[in-house]
Amino acid sequence: MSEPAILTENLTRTFGALTAVDAINLSVTAGQFFGFLGPNGAGKSTTIKMLTGLLAPTAGRVRLLGLDFAADPVAVKRQIGVVPEGMGLFERLTGTEYLNFVGRMYGLDRETSKRRSDELLHFMQLDDRPKSVIADYSHGMQKKLALAAAVIHGPRILFLDEPFEGVDALAAGALKSLLARMTERGVTIFLTSHVLEIVERLCSHVAIIHKGRLVAQGSLDELRAGVSSDDSTPRSLEQIFLSIVGQGGATRSQLEELSWLT
Amino acid sequence: MADVASGPGVFAQVRLVAGLRWRILRNLMRTRNSRWDIFGLVWAAIFASAFVIGLCWLLWWGAYFSVSTGQYAWLLLIFWGIFLFWQAFPLLIAGFGAPFEFRTLLRFPLRFSTFYIIGLAYGLADFAAVCGTCWLISIAVGVSMARLSLLLPVALVIVMFIWMNITLERLLSSWMERLLARRRTRELLFGLFILLSVSAQFIRPAIIHYSEGVHGSIQLQRLISYLSPFPPSLAGSAIIAAGEGHPLQFLSSVGGIFIYIAVLSAFLWHRFAAQYRGEELSETSAPARAAVNATSIPSERKSDPLGFLSPPVAAILTKEFKYLVRNGFVLISLLMPPLLVLLFSSQFAGKHPSVTHTRITSDTFFPGMMGYLILMLMTPAYNCFAYESKGIRNYYTAPIRFRDVLLAKNLMYSVILIFEIAISMTLLSIRIGLPSTPVFAATLLALVFAVTGQFAIADWVSLSFPRKLEYGSMHGQRGSGVSIWIAFGVQILLGGICTVILLAGRWTQNPWLPAEAFAALAAASLAGYFAALDALSRVAEKKREVLIETLSK
Repeated sequence: MSEPAILTENLTRTFGALTAVDAINLSVTAGQFFGFLGPNGAGKSTTIKMLTGLLAPTAGRVRLLGLDFAADPVAVKRQIGVVPEGMGLFERLTGTEYLNFVGRMYGLDRETSKRRSDELLHFMQLDDRPKSVIADYSHGMQKKLALAAAVIHGPRILFLDEPFEGVDALAAGALKSLLARMTERGVTIFLTSHVLEIVERLCSHVAIIHKGRLVAQGSLDELRAGVSSDDSTPRSLEQIFLSIVGQGGATRSQLEELSWLT
Repeated sequence: MADVASGPGVFAQVRLVAGLRWRILRNLMRTRNSRWDIFGLVWAAIFASAFVIGLCWLLWWGAYFSVSTGQYAWLLLIFWGIFLFWQAFPLLIAGFGAPFEFRTLLRFPLRFSTFYIIGLAYGLADFAAVCGTCWLISIAVGVSMARLSLLLPVALVIVMFIWMNITLERLLSSWMERLLARRRTRELLFGLFILLSVSAQFIRPAIIHYSEGVHGSIQLQRLISYLSPFPPSLAGSAIIAAGEGHPLQFLSSVGGIFIYIAVLSAFLWHRFAAQYRGEELSETSAPARAAVNATSIPSERKSDPLGFLSPPVAAILTKEFKYLVRNGFVLISLLMPPLLVLLFSSQFAGKHPSVTHTRITSDTFFPGMMGYLILMLMTPAYNCFAYESKGIRNYYTAPIRFRDVLLAKNLMYSVILIFEIAISMTLLSIRIGLPSTPVFAATLLALVFAVTGQFAIADWVSLSFPRKLEYGSMHGQRGSGVSIWIAFGVQILLGGICTVILLAGRWTQNPWLPAEAFAALAAASLAGYFAALDALSRVAEKKREVLIETLSK
């Protein structure tokens, strides 16, 4: 059996006394659309940063496409695309200039970089403002541009940190189609999102991190089977998520404490 | 319905704002991630305290002396000095303080009168206001100690002068804030400010030129007479009138200050009212769609002028160039070196130097001027990631080694340096002529040595003590304290080495000795620079979290 596209072994990251990610073992098969979920502060972004080389692990190992990240980071980075938290755009470049820049950084020749930039800008409907610098883009437009930059070199693994946040429904639909097509072609997509409906619709496999520890991992069906249910109604991902990470919203007694508000 | 029956009173709100400002300052110091930065801050505080207290003592003595000896005219000059400092300093350091826009308080249920008072009170918390108030109190104490009968009049004048200064300062700041809200205006004004600062240095040569034969004290009297209708002169005149027993003159001067306060307050009321109504100062959130059709943009030329570089280095160099040409302030500031060459050549060299009596030869002036240019132009290299912001992550997610990033950035600085030095050399050759061939060669080689020698250190400092600067903004433009100290130290060291070598050529009467020494040093520093790039890449990997966190804030 071929090695997983993403494999972590006891991946750990501490910040002083705080253990943000605690010895997690992830395994994502090539071509999977993988959702990585967790409540705020659970360690999602820290994990994705370690998987993409933005943060060094305190302990453990990351292997992407069979390559050890620590041993050959440059070779690994050639194979991956990233939409990081906060996007990380150079805001004083135009969209075209930024995509050309990223293409060249990944080693594409000038012509290929230019052609792909134009195609991606057209696909993302960003080609009507060629002279606007990114700082003048709306949040959704910046998100689309960040996604375009992440795929310009044809990555084999795509890491997306909240990719649909602020993107309008029209563009989100086009992006979902694009991502689905990429997975059909064997690209592995690792996605974090707080919108569980999106994850449920797009992802075939899911992992849930809570307080730095991996508390669930598997296909949606496997997760559903693992959660007890009183009736035969299939459980939604939200129900699964809430039952795994704990309390589903505020309790009645907590609400009563805010009686002056409610 | 909201539970708030009535809001807190004016003074409670002012107290809350004062507390807020204090907490912002305290938290700013807490979040400093380097002990060296705190060290720098402590030193700055010591210097600032010495400056304020020293001048307090000096002004107290000056006021005491002028009143006890009856030489009241000095008081006018003192008031002018304080006035200029109070009004100019906040504008000069607008970008270096912690950004706090008191307009953000508008979200709270404030009455306009409260908003206005808080706005004025906010003006009292500025460094210039604290200094000005301390100095004015020192003057009041000095005057009162010399003549106790002047205590009440001087106290009245001082209070009114403080009120006038705060009102004017708030008005100017408010207008500046409005003008600087838009990126283009901001960049142009900042550039204009730099040009004015440089142009101000031409004032002295101009005064010398146009006032030949006129005694200094007569010039001063003429100047003071022109300035008599303005508040500092009125404040000084009021105290003089009180001291000399002219109550009508005293009242008219105080009345003059009061008119200023009333007029300025009316303007400030108008400005604050606009802010209170919700004046929009931010950049356009949704700029008009560009009318240019994508197809109307000329397609990029096929030939690649940077084809001799690796794609990542070429890409970063291109990006750096785009950032440079879009940063109006930095672009205009590139005019400074040629302007300074013109200025200094008129002051110290040429046929008629205005500062020195004997002209400095081009053999001395040329290396000195080049050294000064390097001192000025190399400083930004010590914080070369300042404008990257969140984009810094691109360098870590891309499949490149960090040495390519550093190489590209240093190449960009080299191009700027070559461009600036070429222009300056051309101007110098026109103004005073080029130096002898050995000195010329030695200077060029010394430039190579000084620049490459600094690049490796500057890169290390940029990685180790990064500080985000807002692109084209006046806010948050303070570099890391430790990087400024290191840059200063390295430049002094290199300047010292170069001076000793140049002087050695004279002492040994071997004109080519400096050129030979600098050639060896330049070769060594070039080799050292390329050898250091890999080590610096490792530093960049180690420092990535600090770098990303600091620049992404």
